[in-house]
Amino acid sequence: MSQREAYQFPSSSGGAGTGYAGYDTATGPKVTYICGECSAKVPLEKEDKVRCPSCGHRVLYKERTKR
Amino acid sequence: MSTTTTSTKSARTSTKWDVEYQTIRRQKLFSNTPRDHTAFPLLHAAVKPHVDSFNALFDQGLIDEALKDIGTHSVTDGDARERNARTPRNTLDLRVKEVLLDKSYLPSTNKDSLAREIFPAECRERGVTYRGKLRARLQYRVNANDWKEVVREIGSLPIMLRSNRCHLEALPPADMVRRKEESEELGGYFIVNGNEKLIRMLITPKRNYPMATLRPSFEKRGATYSKFGIIIRSVRPDQSSVTNTLHYITDGNVSFRFSWRKSEYLLPVVMLLKALVETNDHEIAQGIIGASNSSHPPSSFVSDRVELLLRTYKAYGLKTKKQTLEYLGAKFRPVLLTPVTLSDEETGAELLRRVILPHLGNINVSAAQNNDKFQLILFSIRKLYALAAGDCAPDNPDAVSNQEVLLGPFLYGMILKESIHNWLLSIGYQAREWIRTRSPPSFTDTKFEGEFLPKIVRKTNENIAQRLEYFLSTGNLVSETGLDQSQTSGYTVMAEKINFYRFISHFRCIHRGSFFAQLKTTTVRKLLPESWGFLCPVHTPDGSPCGLLNHLSHQCVVQTHNVDASGVEAALSRLGMTKRSARSVEDGLSIQLDGRVLGHMSVKRAREAAQLLRHWKVRDEKRIPKELEIGFVPTSNGGLYPGLYMFSGPARMIRPVKYIPADKVDFVGPFEQQYMTIACTETDIIPNLTTHIEYKPTNILSILANMTPFSDFNQSPRNMYQCQMSKQAMGTPSSNMMMRADNKAYLLQTGQTPVVRPPLYNEYGLDNFPNGMNAVVAVISYTGYDMDDAMIINKSSHERGFGDGVIYKTKFYDLAEKTGTGGRASRSKTEIKSMFGFADTDTNVPSDVLFHIEEDGLPKIGARVQEGSIIAAYHTVMFDPSTNSLRNLDGQTHYLKYKDSEPGYIDQIRLLGSETGDTPLQCISIKYRIPRRPIIGDKFSSRHGQKGVCSMLWPSESMPFSESGIQPDVIINPHAFPSRMTIGMFIESLAGKAGALHGLAQDSTPFSFDETHTAGDFFGDQLLQAGYNFYGNEPMYSGITGREFAADIYLGVVYYQRLRHMVSDKFQVRTTGPVNAVTGQPIKGRSKGGGVRVGEMERDSLIAHGCAYLLQDRLMDCSDKQRAWVCRDCGSFLSVQMVPNPYNALTGRRTVSVAGAGGSVPPSGIVRCRTCAREAGWEDSKLRVWADGEGKEFVGGENTTVVNVPGVLRYLDVELAAMGVRTTFTVD
Ligand SMILES: [Zn+2]
Repeated sequence: MSQREAYQFPSSSGGAGTGYAGYDTATGPKVTYICGECSAKVPLEKEDKVRCPSCGHRVLYKERTKR
Repeated sequence: MSTTTTSTKSARTSTKWDVEYQTIRRQKLFSNTPRDHTAFPLLHAAVKPHVDSFNALFDQGLIDEALKDIGTHSVTDGDARERNARTPRNTLDLRVKEVLLDKSYLPSTNKDSLAREIFPAECRERGVTYRGKLRARLQYRVNANDWKEVVREIGSLPIMLRSNRCHLEALPPADMVRRKEESEELGGYFIVNGNEKLIRMLITPKRNYPMATLRPSFEKRGATYSKFGIIIRSVRPDQSSVTNTLHYITDGNVSFRFSWRKSEYLLPVVMLLKALVETNDHEIAQGIIGASNSSHPPSSFVSDRVELLLRTYKAYGLKTKKQTLEYLGAKFRPVLLTPVTLSDEETGAELLRRVILPHLGNINVSAAQNNDKFQLILFSIRKLYALAAGDCAPDNPDAVSNQEVLLGPFLYGMILKESIHNWLLSIGYQAREWIRTRSPPSFTDTKFEGEFLPKIVRKTNENIAQRLEYFLSTGNLVSETGLDQSQTSGYTVMAEKINFYRFISHFRCIHRGSFFAQLKTTTVRKLLPESWGFLCPVHTPDGSPCGLLNHLSHQCVVQTHNVDASGVEAALSRLGMTKRSARSVEDGLSIQLDGRVLGHMSVKRAREAAQLLRHWKVRDEKRIPKELEIGFVPTSNGGLYPGLYMFSGPARMIRPVKYIPADKVDFVGPFEQQYMTIACTETDIIPNLTTHIEYKPTNILSILANMTPFSDFNQSPRNMYQCQMSKQAMGTPSSNMMMRADNKAYLLQTGQTPVVRPPLYNEYGLDNFPNGMNAVVAVISYTGYDMDDAMIINKSSHERGFGDGVIYKTKFYDLAEKTGTGGRASRSKTEIKSMFGFADTDTNVPSDVLFHIEEDGLPKIGARVQEGSIIAAYHTVMFDPSTNSLRNLDGQTHYLKYKDSEPGYIDQIRLLGSETGDTPLQCISIKYRIPRRPIIGDKFSSRHGQKGVCSMLWPSESMPFSESGIQPDVIINPHAFPSRMTIGMFIESLAGKAGALHGLAQDSTPFSFDETHTAGDFFGDQLLQAGYNFYGNEPMYSGITGREFAADIYLGVVYYQRLRHMVSDKFQVRTTGPVNAVTGQPIKGRSKGGGVRVGEMERDSLIAHGCAYLLQDRLMDCSDKQRAWVCRDCGSFLSVQMVPNPYNALTGRRTVSVAGAGGSVPPSGIVRCRTCAREAGWEDSKLRVWADGEGKEFVGGENTTVVNVPGVLRYLDVELAAMGVRTTFTVD
């Protein structure tokens, strides 16, 4: 258990305690996902349709964080 | 050790298995999944009844047969009240010519996807139904002109996996993996809203066989009714059925009963006989009594009754067939709702076609078919008289010999048939509605053609398939006709995948029907010898479903298709079968095939014929099919009614046994089995008598019962417990866990293959789904923590992963559900109300949220969550037409929280799109992983019904050890054995120890040892050879003192299962918490934070122990304790009142009238009884006067006090007062 408790979430921003003003509003962030069918990386914006652009599959998986 | 598989690609995958581990072969099967066929055909055979019967709906044309049976629905125009058939009318004929079911494909509106198929895995992940488009070819015509045709889409029908309408039907394991399925995906179930559902098999009375029945409830039908009856469950070619009953009336008459649309109708049986064929009284009498040329004198019992039968019928005055049909037609016209244009005679014939023994002809019934019906009714009357006279015994409806299986897909087809029929009726109704608006109201109206589709058909409910989806998801049968079934709910079950044993058992499970569950008698639950080889005697749950919920023996198959039995009649004719019956049964045994009387034969000839038929059947000669059941019932003294009954139809249970003379396989049915001599083992063979022998004695056991090692050594209830417990073990539910989205799934991290197992274990491929761990078990009373089935686990074993498991929970989060725009249907962009992610202008997102949630508003994979953790962010949006985008206006971010009390880790996040592929993200599913290492209180069990609870994780250094330095993983108490007599567990321990020492897989097939060749000797010798004690005992040393124990300890290797019942899901504790709003008492239910009830028995024992304070704590202090004012004088809670403070708190002045001032008044802390007080007069001292809220002044009522009482007591007091009952409490 001690190992689990000691686990720290990796964080890119370091001390992010200064409040938050939302992500870039104009284009929106691109978070990539994995297509459930062809395993292609799918960049998805906020209003994008949920489907793989290369094969049209309708289930996407969230990628494991590598940071 | 078999090395049949080679690495060359051309070699076919071997399906031969033995008991060995075959580690390399299995590894190859995993890394190089077969491209030809499965390596485990036995596993697939287990679900075959389900898949094949679904295939039969379309392959065998069951649906086409159903459409033919529905026939043409005709409606006429003109006045409905006008009954004259000669009035000229126009007729609209409607029929469905064909029903087509497509595989599952994307809708045409989805233009983006290249692959058009929807595979089952996607449906599981997205939580939708796996279904294909259903279309119907609807035909209509007016006044017998040419048929016109339209093809209508009638909804989407759920498809059974691996059926002929499923994309997975013939895929080899390699492609199965490619389609995200288990390599050994079995199919046989449906996916409805993401859940795996299957229709369970039900026991029904055997079809097309006149069953002699004794039922006391028959006597309640009327004054002269007797308990005797003949029941025939007649099954049409489309597998729908009607039940016809012949009642014996005490005066000797016979009445015929059938039901139509849930109403029952009775007919004199002679009327039916005369309606079926052109006949006369002599022919009927001869048919029942027997031909007059035979030497035997007629039985006076029968002849008297036949005379009465015919004489009483004279009253109707119907002589010819035409007259009878017209009479029937006139009576039944309002029931059948036939069109006015149909004559009475035709209506009468329609009745005979639909409900009278339709298995002998239900479409375009020929004269020969009507004669078949006639003959069968005659036979039934004869059997009924024999029953009433006591000449024959009733058929036992609870014996498997008189039962068959109602296969789920057949029922599925029946519901579809009825829905289509209802659809036709509703089109007819709408057509009549439509012409009412026309003048003249006629089908020949010029606009009819053009408006038939848009104004008539579209007005009906065309989503027929929805009814079937409803049926699958709820298991409720909603039907106008009842479909000849005795229950209306409980037809479907969820195919839970707690582990693979549980899953596979669902498909082998067979239920007696929920009607029998309410029965108080236990006769239906009895294990009868007739079940031998068909139903497993071991695998049934204990408790309320015991004996009602059975499992098929592993070799039992359910026939699903029709076989060609046309050779039977020809063969019998050549063997001297005649059409004429005889007076004595010995001379004229009735010979029937699938409920059709073929002819008669003498008993002697019939016996020979039956033997010859069997000979030909086994050798596949003379077009006699292998599946034919030849039930020869010989004449006896009051036994079953004799005859030669043959059955070839589907839904029968059959099983393979060896036919000794030909050394070939013979399929035996339960009806014939009761008259056959089948040896169990070689030693049972009686020369010149025994014809068959079992392939293996273990064939009578179910798949699970076969997995219990050495089950023949155990006391039988223990084997039953094991069958139950193996289904509750944490194991490996499937090998595609990452592709599944079960609500809850249990997984054992450290599953192993058992050292001790039967060869069947490999044949069923159960190494793909390990269900437990091999443990070194010492039977010793060592620590004192092992009382009462407690077991001690070695702490080091625990640390090495013994019993380590996880629970996966998948939760769906649908934003559309939250905002109420409906389920997971596709939505246009303009309707979207909220989206995942942070609001653009939200400036106060807490930093700890950012820590968990990424910029898309979803958490990181692998993040730890606990109760209250934020797991997703979303915000409301509005559609902005000017920019054609969705914009957030309020700048607020909302959060979804993790609600479970147990911490977990985020394992997977799925973003779920829609079928149409055109909606932004609205729905996600998150799979949580909850680690569950064994802790004190978790349940374990060996494979012998020996369950126990972990009571301690004992430090390794304090564990006892043997001379070779072995420490046990598990310690159990010796007291677990004497009363339970699970000798099989001792043998397993021995065999496991020897197997582990020699590196062997041990065959544990039951019935393989005997008195001369004992298991103890066999495994004891192996132990001796490994240098161990023959008996499995070993000297052991205390881990604490290091001294040798006085006794040797029984130490061996036993396979242990970890059961899914874990304390983490069970523990319940509270001091305070939520309470009931009315009573103030704690609520119940663990999930709601409620309490455990201290009931009356608990209360009694606490009183007996004298624990008064404990009782007070439970029943008062921690429950609904209240402080309440009561008047000592009048003893009432209700008359006391708080005196309002007469002084204004702000001004300090006395308020004159409190009520007049308005607003609340602070209480003074003084409580007076209103009823004990009197109104104050001028003489009263100001000090004693008090005023109520209205300013009225009183004196007295001062003797009040506070008592502690239960809240419900005051509630009761108030309720009683409302009813005018006064209570008085004495306060000491
Ligand atoms: Zn893709």
